[in-house]
Amino acid sequence: MKRRPGISGLHSAAAARDQYRSVGENVARIRTDLLKEQLATFRTQLEEFARKHKHDIKKNPAFRAQFHEMCSKVGVDPLASNKGFWAELLGIGDFYYEIGVQIVEICLATRSHNGGLIDLNELCSMLSKKRRTSRETITSDDCLKAIDKLKVLGSGFEVFTVGKKKLVRSVPTELNKDHNQILELAEVRGFVLVEDVERALSWHPGRVIDALETLMKEGLVMIDDGHPDRKRRYWFPCVSLSSSNAEEL
Amino acid sequence: MGDFKFPYFFDYPPYFTLQPVQDTREKQMQLWKELILRYCQHHKCFIINLEQEFPLFQNLSIQRKLSFEAREMFLAALVAEGKAEWLDKAHKKCLVLWRSIQEWSEMILQLVRDNAMEDGVLTLDEIQSGDESRGTELAGIDRFVLVRALKLLEQRGKAAMFKGKAGDDEGVKFSAS
Repeated sequence: MKRRPGISGLHSAAAARDQYRSVGENVARIRTDLLKEQLATFRTQLEEFARKHKHDIKKNPAFRAQFHEMCSKVGVDPLASNKGFWAELLGIGDFYYEIGVQIVEICLATRSHNGGLIDLNELCSMLSKKRRTSRETITSDDCLKAIDKLKVLGSGFEVFTVGKKKLVRSVPTELNKDHNQILELAEVRGFVLVEDVERALSWHPGRVIDALETLMKEGLVMIDDGHPDRKRRYWFPCVSLSSSNAEEL
Repeated sequence: MGDFKFPYFFDYPPYFTLQPVQDTREKQMQLWKELILRYCQHHKCFIINLEQEFPLFQNLSIQRKLSFEAREMFLAALVAEGKAEWLDKAHKKCLVLWRSIQEWSEMILQLVRDNAMEDGVLTLDEIQSGDESRGTELAGIDRFVLVRALKLLEQRGKAAMFKGKAGDDEGVKFSAS
């Protein structure tokens, strides 16, 4: 813009600056409005998509995970949008959905340590630590309800009782009767020695070693040769409260 | 410098025995490698001698210690990753590079810039324990690592080492501007 000399020139420059500023503000406002509108449209479309593919989202964990990821990438939180959006979709309360997701996260994070088996109480305490900021307390009953819902979605979660403990299994491997019996023995001290099992169950050492080696291969058992008495111990991470440091997650 | 925080697995006895199952062992190695690097960084420890006791490799509260084989295996894994080097053919002494030589050389350049010594001279002693490096990560750096880092800077034309007069410490002239 050509500058005109003299006072009138100065006036024009100032007026031009003002004009530019208000145009700039307008542009910014229009841009924000446009963005808001786009986001609102996108959110509606996302919800429409979710409704259309309700069946897939419900039945397919991988699809569901991707859908959730897509939502978070564009900053859309289905849990926050429509009250009960997910409730409608999955037929469960938001509360249990949230807990369910967190339970899955905890199981995945601890799997390399405990092989996919975790004590229900330990799971519950890790869940409470994770939800430190929220006001509600989580009981093991809540966990069980949430896991029940997870089962409906076909996620392979199972709760079973061994001796005095309830264990949550998040891997497809099932334990046979021999395994369960050894597990029950391990609950006492978190580990067993071959001689313990032989004595308690009157088994042949071969049968004991067989079962323990299968459990080792499944990642449910770790060996320990470091005790001063030089006897090998077989530790079961799923019954020891050793991975209860939620900050590790 | 705060207390060192040990991870959960350090108190769990099986982690002190080399696990035979492949997947479990890999997880175990991963955890120990990270711990070794973090511990050495916290304590400014540069060399681990396999023929001597190293406090990290045992946990008295659970009465467990890593076997020689396990220690060697974990260190060898760090070497394979480039995070450590063997200092001898017999693989008994290990230099732990919780920072790479490259990173150390960058830090020296930063020190030079921070103290406006782009054309200045410092003795190696001063870099290791002088006023300029106090409070920085360079303070207490191992002499061998320092020389390696300076050699790297020499290659880049940013520095030139020289020997002092008899009795004087080695020095380095910077041309880092």
